Amino acid sequence: MSERILIMGGGVIGLSCALELARRGRRVTVLEANRCGGQASGAAAGMLAPFSENTDGPDAFFQLCLRSLRLYPEWQAEVKRLSGLDFEYTNSGSLYVAYHEADMLALQGRLLWQRKYGSTGRIVEGDELFKLEPLLSRNALAALHTPEESHLYAPDYVRALEQACRNAGVDIAERLGKVTVAERGNGISLRAADGRRFEGDRLLVCSGAWAGELSETFGIRIPVYPIRGQICAYEADRAPTGARLVEHMVFCSQGYVVAKENNTLVCGASEDVAGFDSTVTEKGIERLRKWNKRLFPFLESREPFHRWAGLRPSTQDGFPLIGPLEGDERVIFAAGHYRNGILLSPVTAKLAADCAEGKRLEPLYEAFSPDRFGRRASVHFS
Amino acid sequence: MISDVLRIGGRTLSSRFFLGTGLFPNPLVQKEAIKASGAEVLTFAIRRINLESPEDDSILQHVQDGDFIYLPNTSGARTAEEAVRIARLARASGLSDWIKVEISVNERTLLPDPVETLKATEILVKEGFTVLPYTSDDPVICKRLEEAGAAAVMPGAAPIGTGLGILNPYNLSLIVEEATVPIIVDAGLGSASDVAKAMELGVAGVLMNTPVAKAKDPVGMAKAMKLAIEAGRLSYLSGRIEKKRYATASSGLDEFKLT
Repeated sequence: MSERILIMGGGVIGLSCALELARRGRRVTVLEANRCGGQASGAAAGMLAPFSENTDGPDAFFQLCLRSLRLYPEWQAEVKRLSGLDFEYTNSGSLYVAYHEADMLALQGRLLWQRKYGSTGRIVEGDELFKLEPLLSRNALAALHTPEESHLYAPDYVRALEQACRNAGVDIAERLGKVTVAERGNGISLRAADGRRFEGDRLLVCSGAWAGELSETFGIRIPVYPIRGQICAYEADRAPTGARLVEHMVFCSQGYVVAKENNTLVCGASEDVAGFDSTVTEKGIERLRKWNKRLFPFLESREPFHRWAGLRPSTQDGFPLIGPLEGDERVIFAAGHYRNGILLSPVTAKLAADCAEGKRLEPLYEAFSPDRFGRRASVHFS
Repeated sequence: MISDVLRIGGRTLSSRFFLGTGLFPNPLVQKEAIKASGAEVLTFAIRRINLESPEDDSILQHVQDGDFIYLPNTSGARTAEEAVRIARLARASGLSDWIKVEISVNERTLLPDPVETLKATEILVKEGFTVLPYTSDDPVICKRLEEAGAAAVMPGAAPIGTGLGILNPYNLSLIVEEATVPIIVDAGLGSASDVAKAMELGVAGVLMNTPVAKAKDPVGMAKAMKLAIEAGRLSYLSGRIEKKRYATASSGLDEFKLT
């Protein structure tokens, strides 16, 4: 009998890890407190945009994101095949819009290093820009066009992942309430809120914003915080030619706008700090509406038909926790993916599965070590 | 002891820490780090701000509750003309009449262009801004900026974001010696020891962003930098001992003498 791996958390990361492990012949149980994909995963806009969302330089996080982007063509096809379900995956490319001449230096600086990492991006201006994106505000001075970026429809992707897991023989237990580690001896035993026990040989922690609850259990600091991201969507009819109102993922310093296959236009994200409260606020959505009309003037007269929020798990340094726990390598972390859970799901699944097979991760990934914030009893200033 | 306060543009500051608001991993860590730093002056790039409603800006919305002095910067500007244009935009939006002039042409080094910086400083001073130019660590240009009416002059320790520390302490000490306005070290610092060294050279304050925001624990690092600024300042004011080649017993030689 092969090992059984318990996965805490049925979000996009937990499900992706489960699928990858099942494909590698492992027996897997996913334990979810509520419903799979019910938190940050299903609320995501599905941007696969490492070049647009990492503008500071090619750090380890950017490289992780880029690797994941490159896994996507094959990964998404595999998820579709295994689930028998379809979901939108669009290679739209992106535009990062500049309004000021002073933005140009930053865009040029980005190109300088991003071209070394496979971007064929370039700066487009004037007629060329408005041909790419006809409804873009004429106040836009220029944009960095990165053809390599894509997006997908997150709710359908997560649904397909869950179905693919079930088809591949993964056990999924939902609505368990708070799941705790009951025992870590010869085996690992988890306990659901109603007392049910789940036994396994290894544990994969994929509980996103809730990973911090395990700090005491494992004796390490797990500084993961929920950051609320609010998003809204507009109905977006198509041009007579069938083209979308917005063809690319369009970014500016305040956020992004992206048109989906289902004739909606998604605008995100307005971030704030509200603990574990995932309600939508008037102020949060208004904040989006104040800048998105500057990007696309036609939005000024429109009302979003849908507004929602998700809790994005961010760590203290912004990097996720990926890798085995020092001292007990049966425990593996894959949590704290913040705004990039959808993008990072394939690479995280591969890395977590490698860890579960006892493989060492390459040195680049040390930046994501779950122990990096130290033991739990560390000095705390007030 | 005479009270040791920093005065810039008619404002009295109790903190000598000027903090950049960019690059933080998330809004919570940003807020906590700003709190831990004790900084009263916050800087940010004007081009990144939603000037039509600054209170809703993706970065500024998180610092609304504090009583801060905003020091918008013209980063990204390549000429004096561009810098002046965005400085006016910032003031017109009601953000602040303080301005950090930052003009670079080289996207690889981001080193300041001192000639354009001087030009922009002259124009903006005449227009009534409180101007804090970021420039290279050259004593002559720093003096020229002061003469042009800069409220404080901000020489770099090393190129922005490099964390290389003070590349030319000799120049910095000359700049401090010559100056009659506050000198603030801006850019290139990496750790608390760099900061303490800068303060021991007699600078009036430091401006940082990357070394705090990109630290593994930005909140802890903000606190460390705050303490280093205080320690370095106090060390500067208190007067360090001379360096000697050989040991001198601290208990005093007399005790060992045989009578």
